[in-house]
Amino acid sequence: MNRSVDPKKVNSELFTLTYGALVVQLLNDLESVEDVNKHLDRMGYNIGVRLVEDFIARSSADKCYDLRETADKLQAAFRMYLGISPSIANWAPAGDEFSLMIDTNPLTEFVELPDTCSNMRYSAILPGMVRGACEMVHLEVSFSVK
Amino acid sequence: MNRSVDPKKVNSELFTLTYGALVVQLLNDLESVEDVNKHLDRMGYNIGVRLVEDFIARSSADKCYDLRETADKLQAAFRMYLGISPSIANWAPAGDEFSLMIDTNPLTEFVELPDTCSNMRYSAILPGMVRGACEMVHLEVSSWFVQDQLRGDPVTELRVKFIKRLEDSVPPGED
Repeated sequence: MNRSVDPKKVNSELFTLTYGALVVQLLNDLESVEDVNKHLDRMGYNIGVRLVEDFIARSSADKCYDLRETADKLQAAFRMYLGISPSIANWAPAGDEFSLMIDTNPLTEFVELPDTCSNMRYSAILPGMVRGACEMVHLEVSFSVK
Repeated sequence: MNRSVDPKKVNSELFTLTYGALVVQLLNDLESVEDVNKHLDRMGYNIGVRLVEDFIARSSADKCYDLRETADKLQAAFRMYLGISPSIANWAPAGDEFSLMIDTNPLTEFVELPDTCSNMRYSAILPGMVRGACEMVHLEVSSWFVQDQLRGDPVTELRVKFIKRLEDSVPPGED
């Protein structure tokens, strides 16, 4: 299947609302905000594991030889899948850590966290996706959101 | 805010996988497939209630005076939000019922229903959205799948039936 043709897209607002429905569902089901965070991370992991295959097929991506190449590919993936262009910044001196700076997050458009959910990592699906995708290409990573 | 510029888009596969995660979550939580169907329909209703406002802003849509105009607008909305172009077909003789014929459903790409879920309406969020969106513009409709490719039918057919016009005050959404 030729996947390099224009990938099919859906409207970002529909995606935002669907993701919101998912988060609300988890909040209703689980006991604590921390459980929701973990659940979103795991869902993201499962999505990332599948999505990376699509990414490799569409971008004919080569193996990455260092973390800088990985950072570039992640940046390209955010553009391809979420329609946003995060910048890469804040490299650690050892070159083993970097940040993706996201100006506009489609998941959180029009979202406000109530005080009862102040420790919710609403977009926890994203670091989960990064982790799952990287693991499928034999790279173990960890993350934090600042 | 000028909404007529190119709307932001996300990749369809990411949406498919996220929707799949939602359905799996519901299957884990709820007791029966029928409960999942109802839940998806209600979620769709709540999404439709919000999404129609965006649709009206983007398309500068006028009031619809008959169901045929409504059908055209729904067709345009599927194109705008899901990137697909269903055809309108199977009008009832009374003109109060029609179908949207969907060849490719982004929600169900790569999805197979196991035998234990054979009565699942996997895409139940879609008729819910149609119902919620129409209710916000004072149109009560019922909407359901007549055919579903996920269940082996050749096409996915979403039926929409006009029930009645509503008064001006409409509930903001179901809980």
